[in-house]
Amino acid sequence: MKKKLPSILLSLSCLIVYLFLLAPIVVVLLSSLTTTEYIVFPPEGVTLRWYIELIEHPEFIDSFILSISVAFGTAIIATIIGTMSALAVVRREFKGKNAIVQLIGSPLLIPSVVFGVALLQFYSWIGLATSPLSLILGHIILTVPFVMRLVVASLVGFDRVIEQAAMNLGASSIRVFFEITLPVIKSGVIAGAIFAFITSFDDLTVALFIVSTDVVTLPVRIYTYMQYQYDPIIASVSSIMIIMTVVLMIIIERVMGVGKIFSSKN
Amino acid sequence: MELNTRVDNEIVLMQKKKNFKKRRDTWLLLIPTLAIFLFFFLLPLFFLFVTSFKTFDAGTGIGNQWTLANYIQFLSDPFYISVLWRTIKIGLITTIITIIISYPVAYQITKAKPRMKNYLTLLVLSPLLISMVIRCYGWVILLSNNGVINQTLMTTGLINEPAPLLYSEFSVIVGMVHVLFPYMVLSIMGALERIDPSIIRASKNLGASNLRTFVSIVLPLTLPGIFAGSVMVFSLSVSSFVTPSILGGPQVKVMSYITYEQVAVMMNWPYGGAIGFLLILVATITILIYSKVLSKSEKGVAIQ
Repeated sequence: MKKKLPSILLSLSCLIVYLFLLAPIVVVLLSSLTTTEYIVFPPEGVTLRWYIELIEHPEFIDSFILSISVAFGTAIIATIIGTMSALAVVRREFKGKNAIVQLIGSPLLIPSVVFGVALLQFYSWIGLATSPLSLILGHIILTVPFVMRLVVASLVGFDRVIEQAAMNLGASSIRVFFEITLPVIKSGVIAGAIFAFITSFDDLTVALFIVSTDVVTLPVRIYTYMQYQYDPIIASVSSIMIIMTVVLMIIIERVMGVGKIFSSKN
Repeated sequence: MELNTRVDNEIVLMQKKKNFKKRRDTWLLLIPTLAIFLFFFLLPLFFLFVTSFKTFDAGTGIGNQWTLANYIQFLSDPFYISVLWRTIKIGLITTIITIIISYPVAYQITKAKPRMKNYLTLLVLSPLLISMVIRCYGWVILLSNNGVINQTLMTTGLINEPAPLLYSEFSVIVGMVHVLFPYMVLSIMGALERIDPSIIRASKNLGASNLRTFVSIVLPLTLPGIFAGSVMVFSLSVSSFVTPSILGGPQVKVMSYITYEQVAVMMNWPYGGAIGFLLILVATITILIYSKVLSKSEKGVAIQ
């Protein structure tokens, strides 16, 4: 009994922390069902009205499509160029390597609000109008450091003997990359792409500065709507996003195992 | 003889060609990233830095004269110093609370069986996948005047009117702890997993109690992990914008919020830029102190 007490206390305190973790998410899901005109938790009654009313708010759907496209664009470009940089950094010796590694890692140290301001000023000077492209460029900066880190982690400890064997057998270096290197570092690359997608899809701070009246990403749309309205529309939009994330996670888990992605992150 | 030197020469030439090709390939691999970083990261930040030394012009936002006034104004105005102090204070409190609640969770996850471990890790990390705006919105619902916490407190008679939980330093800290907690758990887990189980067995064999083993073996060995996690949580917390602006708003002004306010509301670019660079300074100093301590102790773990 004496021995059991600490472990019960441990489990109990962990349970409280897990509840704390899930609380706001569960609250959003449940309060989207309320029949009241304003948001309230616990919800009063159960209705899907706030999901149906979304049809009258096409701006949310437009923003959703924009956010998805920006996130896709960001994930693809950031993964390609991040993987290329990781290959150069891990496998080649060259002058100024340290400086380059530091540079590519530095967006993690710069508060995104400052980067957002700087980017807005720069865009207005060079006259680059708000478009999916201008958003993607900003998000690439935010996500390449993660991609590079994850790919570097999966490249370290890579046995190059197989690659050399393929080269000796006459395979071109590009073919070697696609047929040998990529399959081995796949989990790092995919983790990087998922991370880039999520970071871009979730970004409010940088997008807040770049968006214009007709090009608005979903987080910015939700954020501005929240400032003026208190109806449960936001809860239903958020719930759809939460459900999508969960479904996506289940698919990834089925396809490749979530544990793998996160363990390569450590 | 002649043939030999010719072959040698050819080999040297081929080597040179190969080296050149290798160097060219290296730069080909790096150029896309470097070009984007140069044009859309370094250059914009450099221009903003330059702007922060300009005067304010009501018409265009940026005047023509050079000045240090923006920085002096910030550092000599008690209001702005109080904002800086609040930012640091919120960062410190968030870090301390995060350590306290992360440790048991990290400990439990490390001790769990492989299958359970996977699920628990997923549970801890999954909030990271859900939009920060949505998570903060959940706290808005919970902490508002007619929210469940205030309602419960009022029906039990502990308070007579709703406590101002939302738009306070309290709500900002709650939101920050929620957002940054997974980073600390990962960091402490990393340190716990590196502990050699034979040390723990040795300590127990020598007659130490569980508590004693924890205090004199486990805790000291995880200090580098706690420290790395703290640096990460603190620097992310002082630079975060989403949480303080949704859960604090204009009532709880922090550095990132007034940077946004100066630029987006006041259109005062030079002053906004100066505040931004002071914020970068705070975040960078934290990391520098960390790497100094790290290189001294030599047993630290790298920031992930």
